[in-house]
Amino acid sequence: MNCLQAEEHFSAHYEDTLDYQTLQRFESHIDECQGCEREYSLFREAVQASQQLPQIEPSPSFTATLQQRLTEEELETLSLWQRLQNFFILPKWVYGFAIILVLASSASFLYYDDLFQGSSQSDVEGEFISTQGSDAPTQLPSEIDDRFLPRSFGSVGSAFTTSSRPMQRNYVLKRVSYTTTSTAGGL
Amino acid sequence: MPELDDELMQRFQKGDEDAFNLLVRRHQKPLINFIARFTGDKDNAEDLAQETFIRMFKAANRYKPGRAQFKTWMYFIAKNLCKNEIRNRGRRERYHVDNIVCNDNSIDGNDEDIDLIASAPADAAFQPEIALERKELRNTVQKAIAELPDQYRLPLVLRDIQGLSYDEIGNILELRSGTTKSRINRARLMLKDKLKSYMELI
Ligand SMILES: [Zn+2]
Repeated sequence: MNCLQAEEHFSAHYEDTLDYQTLQRFESHIDECQGCEREYSLFREAVQASQQLPQIEPSPSFTATLQQRLTEEELETLSLWQRLQNFFILPKWVYGFAIILVLASSASFLYYDDLFQGSSQSDVEGEFISTQGSDAPTQLPSEIDDRFLPRSFGSVGSAFTTSSRPMQRNYVLKRVSYTTTSTAGGL
Repeated sequence: MPELDDELMQRFQKGDEDAFNLLVRRHQKPLINFIARFTGDKDNAEDLAQETFIRMFKAANRYKPGRAQFKTWMYFIAKNLCKNEIRNRGRRERYHVDNIVCNDNSIDGNDEDIDLIASAPADAAFQPEIALERKELRNTVQKAIAELPDQYRLPLVLRDIQGLSYDEIGNILELRSGTTKSRINRARLMLKDKLKSYMELI
């Protein structure tokens, strides 16, 4: 065993965890090597010195302060949870209105062809108003550029226009009126 | 026979907050000491210890008894909080070693403290020059520990100040058993070299 190897065993020897063979080799090196003997003695002193450092006592208010902080945290978490809940517990008409808006905007996409190619624009708007309520016209795009339409939507729309426009119109109006009645009753 | 930490933790998981309070009382002192030694900042130690307990309180339902020890989990969280603290502090200033754990009243306040100087008589504490020597030694040791690089100071504090087993330290630091042992030995060798000049004087 050389000095570097001996140094690696300082802790194990100090803690009595060396196996028998290594212990023999370590101790015979320490017996013969003055340098290692000195270093090992300093090593033990250093370890003892750190092991004997005084302990800090917690301040008497430690647990009370912790309790207070935990209560504050709990309240904060609670209020966050309540805020989340409040966000989801909205008046029923808000849900209804939201659904109407979504359907109205999709309906307006389906109506796109009618608005521009259909024979009577006022007719369409009129029908819309009758089913939608007074807010609906502002949601209707008065001028729609193809660029702002989703591609798939546009192609479906044009496929419909050629063959079965009346069916399409009925379909849309049905959907709109369906939601209006269901939201009024159900939600 | 007192309940095991795991048993208290299970009680707390079922809604008994007193069980958690007992765990806090049981572990507050070692935790504060660990934080103070690792960060080298006594003033901030209680605050970080409380932060550790708050994190544990909040995450208690994710704790699986038997899989990890309460103590290991506690040190694991504290270690990460301390590392953040050290990183943030590093931007503000370098160690303020003078603020380290040692305080003057520890001279007469700690009668269990065994004197390092082997030849010192039993009533050494009553001799002012020996008491001064002791205090000086403590300060030197604390300063030397504070100057060790984090990856050596951390296992050294867990082993020699907190008295944890190698297995526990390995779990907290996520190190293999061999690495844990060699890291602790290396840390002690570094500490010895730092204290050498001082110890050769006495
Ligand atoms: Zn040698």
